[in-house]
Amino acid sequence: MSRTGRAVAALEHHAVGTVAVAAAVTVALVFYLPVGIVLSEAVTVVPGVPPGVSVAPLIDVLTDEFYVGALAGVAADPLAVGRHAGNVLDWADAFLAGETGLPEFGLFGFTAYQALVSTVASVALGLPGAYVLARFEFPGRRTLRSLTILPFILPSVMVAIGFVATFGREGLLNNSLAAVGLPPVDLIGSLTVVVVAHAFYNAPLVTRVTVAAWETVDARAVETARSLGASRRRAFVDVVVPQLLPAVLTGALLTFVFTFMTFPIVLALGGLDLATVEVWVYALLRNLNYEEAAALAVLETAVSLALTYAYLRYEAAQASGSRGATPPDRVPLVPSPRALLSPSRLAVLAYAAVAALVFLGPIVSMVWTSVAGPDGPTLAYYEFLVQRQVEGTAVQTKPWPAVRNSLTFALGTLAVALPMGVAVALVTTREFRGRTVLGAIAMGPIAVSGIVTGVGLLLGPVFGIPLGGGYRLQVTGAVAVVAAHAVAAYPFVTRSVAPPLRRLDPAMVESARALGASRARALLDVELPLIAAGVVAGAAFAFAISVGEFDSTVILAEGADSYTMPVAVERYRGRRLGPATAMGTVLLAVTSASFVVIDRLGGRFERG
Amino acid sequence: MRRRRFLTATAGVAATTVAGCITQSDDGDDSGSGDGTLTTPESFEGELTVATYGAFVDSPSTSPGGWVKEAFEEEYPDVTLNWEVAENGVTEFVQRASRDASIDADVYLGLNVDDLVVADRELDDSLFMSSDAYALDNGDAVRDDLRFDPQSRAVPYDTGYITLVYDENEVDEPTSLDALTTDPYQGTLLAQNAQSSDPGRAFMLWTVNQYSADGYLDYWRDLVDNDVRIFGSWGDAYDAYSQGQRPMVVSYSTDQVYANRNDQDMSRHQVAFPNGQAYANPEGMAVFEASDSPALGFEFLDFVLSPAAQGEIAVRNVQLPATDHADLTDEFDQYALEPDEAVVFDYDELAGNLDGWVSEWAREIAGN
Repeated sequence: MSRTGRAVAALEHHAVGTVAVAAAVTVALVFYLPVGIVLSEAVTVVPGVPPGVSVAPLIDVLTDEFYVGALAGVAADPLAVGRHAGNVLDWADAFLAGETGLPEFGLFGFTAYQALVSTVASVALGLPGAYVLARFEFPGRRTLRSLTILPFILPSVMVAIGFVATFGREGLLNNSLAAVGLPPVDLIGSLTVVVVAHAFYNAPLVTRVTVAAWETVDARAVETARSLGASRRRAFVDVVVPQLLPAVLTGALLTFVFTFMTFPIVLALGGLDLATVEVWVYALLRNLNYEEAAALAVLETAVSLALTYAYLRYEAAQASGSRGATPPDRVPLVPSPRALLSPSRLAVLAYAAVAALVFLGPIVSMVWTSVAGPDGPTLAYYEFLVQRQVEGTAVQTKPWPAVRNSLTFALGTLAVALPMGVAVALVTTREFRGRTVLGAIAMGPIAVSGIVTGVGLLLGPVFGIPLGGGYRLQVTGAVAVVAAHAVAAYPFVTRSVAPPLRRLDPAMVESARALGASRARALLDVELPLIAAGVVAGAAFAFAISVGEFDSTVILAEGADSYTMPVAVERYRGRRLGPATAMGTVLLAVTSASFVVIDRLGGRFERG
Repeated sequence: MRRRRFLTATAGVAATTVAGCITQSDDGDDSGSGDGTLTTPESFEGELTVATYGAFVDSPSTSPGGWVKEAFEEEYPDVTLNWEVAENGVTEFVQRASRDASIDADVYLGLNVDDLVVADRELDDSLFMSSDAYALDNGDAVRDDLRFDPQSRAVPYDTGYITLVYDENEVDEPTSLDALTTDPYQGTLLAQNAQSSDPGRAFMLWTVNQYSADGYLDYWRDLVDNDVRIFGSWGDAYDAYSQGQRPMVVSYSTDQVYANRNDQDMSRHQVAFPNGQAYANPEGMAVFEASDSPALGFEFLDFVLSPAAQGEIAVRNVQLPATDHADLTDEFDQYALEPDEAVVFDYDELAGNLDGWVSEWAREIAGN
């Protein structure tokens, strides 16, 4: 064997392990270490022999009624079980007698409540979309499916502008209501608009993961059930629903975790009276009050990690039983004009109207703002972009570098996050003790708030970690941005890849290995083609997360040279919305095109 | 054998990657720290790094940054002025100083009194040098009522007045803060979070000044009952105002300068001074203790205080100048409004109180 041949063989032999180790190092350096730096503020080491550990900041939060409401008394004296039980019984009596209302659970209670409502709204809005995309055939279906990822990349500042324009007093919704003689609704600043904005972001996620599952439903099982005498409804409930449920729950869990840690949407659309835990963490960190912020963040992270862990256990339990890849045929949405009047078609039309208001309303409003001057239609804001590109000084943000940086970072993120995500999926789908715990740890970047990660990155890698002797380990610039984006993105690759990987028949890999294929060869030739759909979905997520990321990009992109499109949108925002919305429209166009390309290329790969 | 070769190669690549991320700090001594005074060298050369907030160098209007760089480099031909945008403002430098990370900026432009209070609370040593160390030619032109640092580290270069901007087609001019809690103004006001927004904080401090530290929360309870809406940032609140969401917003008294420049309907940009007052928010600049070239830093401060720079910065930044000798156009004078009486807390009143006031206020609003 030649020298290069040996090197390639060695590389193949260790490829999976190497990528996994590299992934672990990257995650440790740009995620766990920074987050650890912030969270460790919640715990202080008390000097002495032996040194003790004080969790005073945590206890302060747990016993503060403002944060936990009625639970503060319990946390203050957790061992007085009898007294607490008595209090609950007293309350229950009073409640049943109508003398008192529901207890208050403080900031945490409100945060969980709005996350629950947001999750219900997102699932309610997302599931019908999955039904339409999975069951009907119509022109533009594939493109529409590709575009379900778009909300992910829209910076929240743009979404807020679009929402005010759509649901505000002079907005699209109120104008439509007025046209049919209904009174106006005042939504901005209310919980309703925050929930609708959360649904705008998360319903497409629910749709996306559910469609993916629906397309792998085994049609033969449905036919078998039907031939055995099951009604259409019965076959759906007994055969299809169990196959969709894991995907729906994935969407719901992610939605809950995201909206539990919600921050920019509440700041931009809600008043301070709708503040969440994350809003508070942000305010405390800004004021350099690390202890209290870290204590809050620890509790917040504990909740989301616990949910993630519970979900992973559920997912693992669902994995038994392999599926065929013979999805049911789609039926034409509009076989004839008259068919549109059938109840199911009418329901689809009604859904389309609601979806158009929620999804298209804000986006169209944003694009409209970019061409609407004070005296009618104008291209002045786009002229501004061109002029800035041509004449801007070195200190000013120009549009083209922003586009270029965004695309470069997104491609870099793809290159790093795809192998990372697949490696993590391969490792965590193997049978071993503690697999679920490891899985939950690997999902950390989803479960930890962006604010905490961002501040941790600043205090750790950006400022430099002292190594002694005046040396510092410092990570900044483009490499750091890509690493941070990849860490944020790989859990989505893992989540897209792990379920199909778990359904693979291990015998196939074993036969390939028995026939002499290396582990990497078996992965490339056998496993990856079978999980191609999952990899493509993960790639789209990775791209979207990189393009839309704002917080850590701002922190890591030191100097003027590594700003991205969302950063440019934020920087162009002043008293006039025009330039920012024009840049937002550019962002929208560039990324929509990218997604259609990813999905189309991915589709070819899937069929290939 | 293969395994070893492979591992060596991998480790080599990894080591190279990591090595690129290791830096060594140069423990150069801080020239200019201590009580001594600085002397003006005969000529200036080299680089000057000025940290500031984003809008100063890159706002949709023509921000002052580009002009300042050009004019300063014209006056000091051997000097290069570099702007550095500090996304988290002074906070980032406070964090750097407390973690012994390097500070490569020489000057910070855009300090307010709250920033100084926080920096002094968090750090044992001052982040900035006293301007008494250097003779500023234009130092005497700075308005005394705007000087906010008892240790004269921060030198004011402009000021904003925070007050109410309203749409006269929908509401009458509010003549007092009390009026905001009355029926005609129900559901009309957009304000900002005092935790995260400068105007929001200024407006809250104004109410502390008006109703005392014991009474301001009662006033805010009344405001909340009257349906005030509190957004996270000035931008979000102003967006909602621009879209006609509500007819009144906490904003700057220079609002008409912008409206006029963009040919907007002036009736939607009326400025109210309740009780004839507004809260003054002077912005200052200061030289970092860690600066390598403090004398050049103070030359920059002096340049910013010159009549030409004062006029240009005020107009481009849409704020009022901090000196009495700025070159301003009649148009600017006409639309940049000033209150009869400026309300402001000084450094000593804020140091020790600010945190408590803000935190009590936020809990009051969020607990509703």
